[in-house]
Amino acid sequence: MKQAFAKFSPFQVDPEKVWADYELNYSDFEPATDAEKESVSEVRQSVSYWRDAARRFRKNTVSMVALFVFLAILVFAFLGPLLIPYDYANQYRSSQKLGPFEYSKQEALIKSIEGEVDCMFATALQPGSVTALDPGDYYFKYKGDTYSFSLDAKLADSVIVLKDGDLSIVKQSDISNGQIKKSTPLEYTSEVPDGAKQLKVESKVFPHVVGTDSQGRDILARTMYGARVSIIIGIVAALIVLIIGSIYGAISGLCGGTVDFVMMRIVELIYSVPEVLIVLLLQVVLKDPLQAWFDSSNSWFANALSTLGAGIVSIFITFGLLYWVTLARIVRGQVLMLKKQEFVTAATALGASNGRIIRRHLLPNCVGQLVITTCLQIPAAIFLESFLSFLGLGVSAPMASLGSLCSDALGTLTLYPYRLLFPGAILTIIVLSLNLVGDGLRDALDPRLKK
Amino acid sequence: MAIYIVKRLAAAVATILVIMAITFFLMNTIPGSPFLTEKSTPQQIELANQKYGLDKPLIVQFKNYIVNYAHGDLGVSLKMQEGTPVKKILFGQGKFVLSIKLGVCALLVAICLGIPLGCLAAYKRGTWIDGLLRVLTTVGVAIPTFVLASTLLVAFAVKLNWLPTLSGSLDSWKAYIMPVISLSFYDVCYIAKLTRTSMLDAINQDYIRTAKAKGVKNKWIVLKHALRNSLIPVITFLGPLAAFIITGSFVVETIFSVPGLGKYFIQSVINRDYTIIMATTVVVSVLVIVMNLVVDIAYKIVDPRITLSSTDE
Repeated sequence: MKQAFAKFSPFQVDPEKVWADYELNYSDFEPATDAEKESVSEVRQSVSYWRDAARRFRKNTVSMVALFVFLAILVFAFLGPLLIPYDYANQYRSSQKLGPFEYSKQEALIKSIEGEVDCMFATALQPGSVTALDPGDYYFKYKGDTYSFSLDAKLADSVIVLKDGDLSIVKQSDISNGQIKKSTPLEYTSEVPDGAKQLKVESKVFPHVVGTDSQGRDILARTMYGARVSIIIGIVAALIVLIIGSIYGAISGLCGGTVDFVMMRIVELIYSVPEVLIVLLLQVVLKDPLQAWFDSSNSWFANALSTLGAGIVSIFITFGLLYWVTLARIVRGQVLMLKKQEFVTAATALGASNGRIIRRHLLPNCVGQLVITTCLQIPAAIFLESFLSFLGLGVSAPMASLGSLCSDALGTLTLYPYRLLFPGAILTIIVLSLNLVGDGLRDALDPRLKK
Repeated sequence: MAIYIVKRLAAAVATILVIMAITFFLMNTIPGSPFLTEKSTPQQIELANQKYGLDKPLIVQFKNYIVNYAHGDLGVSLKMQEGTPVKKILFGQGKFVLSIKLGVCALLVAICLGIPLGCLAAYKRGTWIDGLLRVLTTVGVAIPTFVLASTLLVAFAVKLNWLPTLSGSLDSWKAYIMPVISLSFYDVCYIAKLTRTSMLDAINQDYIRTAKAKGVKNKWIVLKHALRNSLIPVITFLGPLAAFIITGSFVVETIFSVPGLGKYFIQSVINRDYTIIMATTVVVSVLVIVMNLVVDIAYKIVDPRITLSSTDE
């Protein structure tokens, strides 16, 4: 008996001792307090699917880094334009073809001039006037006071204008459309006159970080704008694919039979179409009719679309026509699997319509798959858009996307490679980070796939 | 098998007819006419329309296309090289030949480099080689063709001056290097990724354990047992690859100034040269469809368990 007990006891039992020899600690037999019960409790609040997925995603270092990189790109694209003083479409005169961090001769604002002249620009409003503003000290009289300022080579945009051989001062408000309406002649002296007031010269002008293009547009500003356009196109195109693909796939899978057969033959047909040729053709075909529709229609919808431009809208139409097939197949596969399960039978038995079954039962159950595919669709759409824009279709000037920027830079590739490589690098980073986030989502949302 | 191929060929013919219909409809919706220039008078346009049968109703025109194509007649160019047979333009002067040359080279590179790299990564799983390849392939599939192509161009043709800037009509082997690398890079990376994943999948199967237990060398396990079974996803990818390579070649041809099919197609669309648009679309569609068929048959050879008759999964 003792032996038998010893066998089952987790404690070391001395076979020589009898049971009574063990000292009993009576406190061990007191009922546990609530706090003690809590501490050994194995019951936790159930973790929902999404919370579980989020936890798995957070554990995935690569995907988390990619997510933060993508967020950084979003900040770059959407908040960046607020931080730099250049506009994507503005052609900055006399600062064409600048290299990274180069300044044009006239590109400095001379600020903080006291008195009535509130803003000074030394700009080349007329050809040839640049040479007069070589670096050096300048003095001029204005309204009885003598001012002096010095100019280094990189400086000068705005007020001092060389006109007919004379330096003259022009208020910014007197310049319209490049024409000077009113100017005051400056007296140019070589010695420092007594009582000259020193003008503060702002020498730190915001640099053109990646230079400017042949039209004098700031490439950094254009890249930020282009990245924004590309990301928006990617997301909208992915949503279009999501909507069309999931509805099509769900109907095909649920109805089955002849409907399914016909619908899947259509999918196969679209699969075997050489999509690039049709896309190129569609781009050209859609451009003019869309433009005509924008011009004639006054509805808010047409107006909203016309701000996007015919090129972008036809990219959306292309996606709506050709690129939903993969998603439709995935959804159909899921629906075929789900529709045999009991809860669908139950819903049917309760008299739910097909539409309700799709909306309430089938689609929510494939949501993981949908999220993964849509997330991976975004970089694919950005890829296609950049490809089309690169070939001169899609986004048209003055709008820019990353693809069209690369396309613009192609002509001068051998001279200014950074003009193509910078937007190209941003494009690569966007696609890379989204791919990695998508992979992470797949691992998080569909643990069965994880090896 | 024979019945299957016949069925597929019938489907292919139907597909091509539908593609022809779509192309015909689309290109006739493009505003403008191939004969519209600044100097042309309405009479001249009418005459030209009569000459090439563009005055007939659309349905008759479409019927003519089908009848002519069935006889192997692709028509004559309407604008870009007026009067020259399209067949001669596409096949004779090398437009199509150039694109196919580039495409086939890129395809071979993609297969011959991608699959071994994938195997290597799977074989050396967990080592630095695997890590390096993983980073490389992940980045590789995110680089757009035109970025890679222009980077190569700047680096090797402009800065280092090793390779010619313009590949032209691919006269020397040097002219091939950059276009083929840019065209195949994405696919090499993608195939390597795919091979690695499916190889690791296969390695966990029972028959691999059996082979190990029998004392088969690790190398032979990977090469004989695992590779064959992991090739199916790779083969699936090869079908769309034909289309991908043509897609990429448009960009590559633009960057390296190769007068290939892609560039010519864009020009023909802009010029509304109807016969060339139609011929290019049909030739490329036939290529894609034939590739898909070959891939499906290759499945059967690699994995006899796959039944060809049903297309459902």
